[in-house]
Amino acid sequence: MARLGTALATAIAIGFGLLTVWGLLSSANVPIANITQVILQLAVIMVAVTILLGVLNLFVVHLRRIGRRQKGWVYSFVLIVSAAAVIGLWITGQTTTNQFLLENVELSVESALAGLMVFALVFGAYRMMRRRVTWSAVLFTLVLLIILIGALPVPQVAFLASVRAWLLAVPVSAGARGILLGIALATVVTGVRVLIGQDRSYRE
Amino acid sequence: MDSTTQLVTTIIILLAFAVTVIVTQFIRRRQSSFPMRVIPAYEAIPLMVGAATEAGRPMHVSFGSAGLGGSNTALTLASAELFYQVALRNQVGATVLTMSDTSALPLGYGALRRAYAGRTGAIRDSSVRWYPSGDRSLSFAAALTGVLGDERVSGNVLTGSFGPEIALVLEAAARRRQPTIAGSVELDGQAVAYAMADQPLIGEELFVAGAYLGDNAVQRGSVVTLDVLRWLLILGILIATGNAIRVPVIDALTKLLHRGG
Repeated sequence: MARLGTALATAIAIGFGLLTVWGLLSSANVPIANITQVILQLAVIMVAVTILLGVLNLFVVHLRRIGRRQKGWVYSFVLIVSAAAVIGLWITGQTTTNQFLLENVELSVESALAGLMVFALVFGAYRMMRRRVTWSAVLFTLVLLIILIGALPVPQVAFLASVRAWLLAVPVSAGARGILLGIALATVVTGVRVLIGQDRSYRE
Repeated sequence: MDSTTQLVTTIIILLAFAVTVIVTQFIRRRQSSFPMRVIPAYEAIPLMVGAATEAGRPMHVSFGSAGLGGSNTALTLASAELFYQVALRNQVGATVLTMSDTSALPLGYGALRRAYAGRTGAIRDSSVRWYPSGDRSLSFAAALTGVLGDERVSGNVLTGSFGPEIALVLEAAARRRQPTIAGSVELDGQAVAYAMADQPLIGEELFVAGAYLGDNAVQRGSVVTLDVLRWLLILGILIATGNAIRVPVIDALTKLLHRGG
């Protein structure tokens, strides 16, 4: 019975996958394109449903932490109270208060974290050089220094601004495109693996 | 999508399909015919899981903001395979899986359920956790730093979609001497992961966990397909470059010859 279920799931996944690819590669006027649109809308609805799952997961995980008095349960308590308050405000239609909380609490906290990130990055560069002094690590740190110093509005290091511009336009851009091309090819290959029914998420 | 893009996309998909099917058949017969290069991050995973088992502490794995239904769907599936392999090796211990995209929740539960099949009670309610992300995923990163401390995790595998906020998580892990493997499809997150993670995964390396940690012929076949497509792309770029510089180079050589004559 389990094997039948797996085979059915695989057949559905392959069928819908092939239909979607066919529809996306066809012109917009053919009927298959309309079927594809319906499939994509179904997928969007299913993804929206998972938000409910997420909220449920959040409450279950943190209520249990509070119940068991696990380490950091106070944070879980604050999280549950905040989440319940925001949901309550939304249900009662107090969107202005919600907006106020978003702008004055969440954005402020996120800005503070963004400020901390600079120190984390500097620590990371230091740690990399401490851990392994390799050619690539030295090159990475050197380029990082040129990019940072080149951005300074100081006349004494003005020559570094053109070096910085060249670095960003040529080697950095080429490297970034190389990584993105690799990701794109890997995405295609993973998609093909799903289309031939060999992805583990429904194979077992 | 214009007709040229449609044609190129169709050719790439058909090529990938054909190469995967053909190579998989070869690999099923002779696995040693296609040796794969060493990726240190995948070599480190069994050691990391072994250390977690010895210490009796959980492993932490995270999708970041990768989820199903968007451009990161393939990445999410590949990351789920990696997390399955980590959990499979961590049979004695526990694995905590986090994400900020709710569409990855069922996939995460599925990966852990398959890995711990037959081990009742191995998956707790808190094994898979969703933390909402703000505009810049910084709140998600802050939540992860809390998980690292509260759960006293032994090691972290962060593969998915992370921005520069991954720096906060990696810094927190480094302070607690927790080893990390990290990689992201976002370039700024990838740069941070390269600098700060103990073992970074770069670009397409994120997608090949099944081939390196499992023994499936199709997974290995997809790595070979990836190599074939990569070489074809390099060839295409070289031909296009040669074609673009052909006329100016011939002009320059002609001028040089005339001047010499």
